Formats: sequence, C-alpha cells, structure tokens
Amino acid sequence: MVSQWVLRGLVSAHLVAIAGQPVFAGVYLSGDFDGLRMHAAGANITTSIGYLQVIAAVVVWVRLRQSWPFVASLAVVVAETVQYFAGTGGALWLHIPLGVMTVAAVVMLFIAVWRQPLVRRHA
Amino acid sequence: MRELSRRQVLGIGGALGVVAAGGLSTAAALSLRPAQTGAELRSAVPLPSPFQVPLPVPSVLAPVSTADGFDRYELVQREVTAEILPGVPTGLWTYGGTFPGPTIESRRGRSVTVAHRNELPVPTVVHLHGGRTPADFDGYPTDLVLPAGWSGDHHMHDPQAMTTEVTREYTFPLDQRPTLLWYHDHRMDFTAPAIWRGLAGMHLVRDDAEESLGLPTGPRELPLMITDRAFAADGSLAYPALDPTLRERPGVREPYVAGVLGDVILVNGAPWPVHEVDAARYRLRILNASNARHYDLEAVLDDGHRLDLVQIGADQGLLHVPVTHQNLPIAPAERYDVIVDFARVPMGSRVRIVNRLGSGRARDVMAFHVVRKAVDESRVPDVLCSDLPEWQRSEAVRVRDFSFRAGQMGDGHGWLIGGKPFDPARTDVTTRLGDVEIWRLVADVHHPVHLHLVGFRVLSRGGGPPLPQDAGLKDTVSLRPGESAELITRFDGYRGRYLFHCHNAEHEDMGMMANLQIT
Repeated sequence: MVSQWVLRGLVSAHLVAIAGQPVFAGVYLSGDFDGLRMHAAGANITTSIGYLQVIAAVVVWVRLRQSWPFVASLAVVVAETVQYFAGTGGALWLHIPLGVMTVAAVVMLFIAVWRQPLVRRHA
Repeated sequence: MRELSRRQVLGIGGALGVVAAGGLSTAAALSLRPAQTGAELRSAVPLPSPFQVPLPVPSVLAPVSTADGFDRYELVQREVTAEILPGVPTGLWTYGGTFPGPTIESRRGRSVTVAHRNELPVPTVVHLHGGRTPADFDGYPTDLVLPAGWSGDHHMHDPQAMTTEVTREYTFPLDQRPTLLWYHDHRMDFTAPAIWRGLAGMHLVRDDAEESLGLPTGPRELPLMITDRAFAADGSLAYPALDPTLRERPGVREPYVAGVLGDVILVNGAPWPVHEVDAARYRLRILNASNARHYDLEAVLDDGHRLDLVQIGADQGLLHVPVTHQNLPIAPAERYDVIVDFARVPMGSRVRIVNRLGSGRARDVMAFHVVRKAVDESRVPDVLCSDLPEWQRSEAVRVRDFSFRAGQMGDGHGWLIGGKPFDPARTDVTTRLGDVEIWRLVADVHHPVHLHLVGFRVLSRGGGPPLPQDAGLKDTVSLRPGESAELITRFDGYRGRYLFHCHNAEHEDMGMMANLQIT
C-alpha cells in the first residue's frame, strides 16, 4: 500500500509541476525574459518527477501486480523527453501540441490513481 | 463507480491514441518546417532557368567633389523601367537609375555628404543602415523629403518631424569600424513597398588597417545584395499593398501581414545569377536586403560536397579571428563578410549558393562557375583585428526587456514592441550617452531586431550561448520563433532621437518600431 501512496504523491506533484509549464511559457512570450528560465527549470522538475514516477510505478507493478501505471507513466515520460528536445531545438510545431497532450495525459493519470485504491491483483 | 471493462479501456485508449497521433501528424503536415514568417507571392510571368544571367556588380558612385576633407555625392531618386527578368520590362523606383543603387565607397572617419533629390511620386527618407550617424541625418521615418507638388496629408502626427521639399543633404561622419552598410528608404508606414520597388543600395567603409590584412580585393571582392521579388503578369513588381499608389493608406493585404516573400531570388538585382571566378579566394560581402525572407546559405558543389564559409566580419566589421561555418543563417538587414576558397574546386565545375530554408525556386540563390586557374596572393590572417569592443555584464547600468509580438493596432493586425505600436511622439527608451545596457529581447515569430546608431554584442540566445554566427559586432539580431537573446552595447556617438525596430519591413511598417532617446 505504501507504493500506491508514493505513486499518488508523485503523480500529484507531477500534475502541479506540469501545470506550471504553460503558465511560464505565457509569461515568457509576454516579453518577460525570466519566463524562459522558469519554463526551463519547470521542464527539469517535471521531467525529473516523471522519472521518479516511472520507478514508483515499477514498484507498484512488482508489489501489486498492476502494470498499467507503469505503461502510462512510461508513455508520459517518453513524451516529456521528446518535448524537452523539441523545446530546446525550437521545433514549436511539435512542442506546443505535444505539450498540451502531455498535460492532458498527466491529468488523466491523476484521476486514475486517485479514483480507487490499487488492489493487488492475484495471478 | 463501475470498473471499466477491458473492452472499454481498449476502446477509449485507442480513441485517445488516434486523436494524439492525428493531432501530431496534422501539426507535422501543416506546419512550415523550417518555420517561416511571411507569405509567398507567386510570379505570373515565366521565370528564367537559374544560373543563366551574369552577376551584375553595382557601379561605384563617383563623388561630385572631394574638396575640404569630405566627399560629396549626388543621387536622384527616380522611376525607371529595367529588365530584371530577361525580356520583361519592370518599373522600378531607384537611387540613380539602377537597382541596387550605386555603391558608395568611403574611408573611415572621412565625412560623406549625399545630396538626394526626390523625383518619385511619393515622399522618401534615406537611412544609412549601420551608420554611426547624427540623429538629424539618420533618416527618421517622419523626416520626409516631399516630391514637388506633394499634396498628400500624412496621417501620423509628429511635432519633431523635419520635412524638406524635393532635396535633402545627408551628412555621414562614418567615424566607425570598416564594414558593409546599406542605404534604403525608411519612410513612415511605407518602408517595405519602397524597398521592394528598388530603393536600396550598398555603402562600404574601408580603412588602412583592413586593407593591410591581405584579404582578397579588386575583382575578388564581391558585394552581394540578396533580395526576393515577385512579378505580376505585366512585368511589374507584384506587391500586396492596400494602396498601390503608396500615397495614403499603409499596409498589406491580410494574408501578407507577417511579411511579403517573393518567388524570384535576385542577387545584385539579377535573378539566380552566375559568376565566373578564378580558382582562388574570394571575399563575399553578403547583405540580405529582402523584406521578410530569411536564408540559410551554403556553398555546394554539384557532387554535394560543401565548401567552407570562413566568416571574417559581421554587420559592424571584422571579427577578432575568422570563424569557419558550413552554413550562414541570414535575416533581413544582416551582413556577413565571408571568404570562400575556390582553389580546390575542380576546374570547370560549379558552386551553387543554396538557401536551406527555401523551397521550390527559392532554394537556389546563385552560382559560381570556376573557369580559370590563377595565382592567389591573398591571405586570411589568424587575427583580423584588435579593436572589437568587449563589454562586461558588470558594466551595464540597466537591463531592459522587450517583447516583439503580434497584436492589435488600431482596428487591424499589427506588430508590437512591449505591447505598443510605434508612435513617433512617444519616447520608449531614454538612455544617457555613454551608458552600457543589456537588452533582453523575446520574439513570438521571426523578428530581426535592429538598433540604429550602435553596434552590439550578442551575450546569449535562447537562454544558452550565442550561435557561432553571432560572433563579432552586430547591429541586427535574428530572433527565431519563441526565441530570446541578450544584447549588450554602449550608447555612444551622438545624442538625439533614434529608432530600434524589427527589420522585417512589413512588421516595421505595421507598428514594430520604438523610439530610443539618447540624452
């Protein structure tokens, strides 16, 4: 059960961090130069939480035999990694839609992990 | 709540996956990659094959007088009809009857006076881009030279405007580092169509130190003004002006508000020209005088091998040491001073200058045809100069932030700096003569940002180090979509009212300028 709470905590933190990203992007494009630094720091924090979340999801998979949190977290982390390089590479055509989709995915994951307790699946 | 069935999970998950994949592939398909700011006009006349027309080199203007320690030139701004495309007559607005206008060659610190006479149907303003020029001669957009009998009423009120009738003398002290400058029209609200019709020319500043370096010279030094244009069915230059007479109503038709691009690439006014060269080093003085088109230039042999582009100078003169590039991104109004060595190119073969950002006909720029073996006594020294200004962050007395972005201007689309469209009567920035400042610029789409009077160094780009191509002293920095840059400069030279603005000429006409008051 501890692993479930750790996962819930990380997904919640992930949601808070990723919600800041469009905010900082907007601040930056309004002409506030420091907005870019906040957006970059936010990207580092969001991606780091994502990786921790994948580890927590592996533990959930092992302990509770539920694999979907791992699959979903991995998909989000892959998207965020692509997102990171699309951003630093200036590929806004990819960065903007992928960013919106990644936020939506983390929202869905947040609902899924909090909706009901993860019960150990018996083989 | 009921548990989702496996079937529902697969169905909903699959639908979301399809939406995500569809969204991203639509973005990939519809987006311009590489990104482009502006819309392309299509020519309505048959276009010539590339690399047929010989490269013209603009004539060097002879002074009418060299007495009393300064050179005096006279230029008449007038309409002519010329053949840009072979066999197609095209009406142009010119400096002295040619496009580009004649090149002015001058010496560092030797004053030049150019007397302009306006025989065009509209007011004009001459600005020497990159010139360290007193404010009275800097070509402020409302300092109009009115044509004879001008009856138009200019709608933008500026109490400080200094208009003249028919003629005006511009005096340039040229107390500045040797480099390639260019002169062009800067008339309030109508700069873009005036440049498009031909009001642009080059101006070189030289000095003894640069000439002692042993760089390629004479016929092996080529000024290259790159522009894009489009041609209407009657051979005239196509331009989507709201008021084709360019007298009253500024602006372009809605699809072109981001910038006007042409489908014909001209170098020194010739379409996709070819130039026969010796198998030797050449010094190319490259200027992008296009209204809105960005280029990323490379020199490619027919076997696909790329020649090194050895950059020796930037907008504001020589670099400290040469920098070797494979490609040169160049935004409107930027310049590069580049050495290309044709010595190892197989005799009889061709080197194409290609624009990596262009598609279709806009991909080709020009070609060099290597036709002669030759002795080459030129050299490229390891150290080019030692007078490049270095300003430290700690010297800056002020840091300013500016956003360059789209917005509302009046009842239409405009382009704003710091959320405001240009107003000649409003002072946006006041600084003291001699102050060092850091400017932090943020762009929404491509904005080549130009400061009048001063050169600057690029401190950072996109939060990281500058590009290798940002080296040296610049007067125009090319911001790409979503990009930011930090500049540092010292505001010295002269007091008075100057400008900074986006050099996408359509953006500049639609509000993207601001006043810089040096006190």
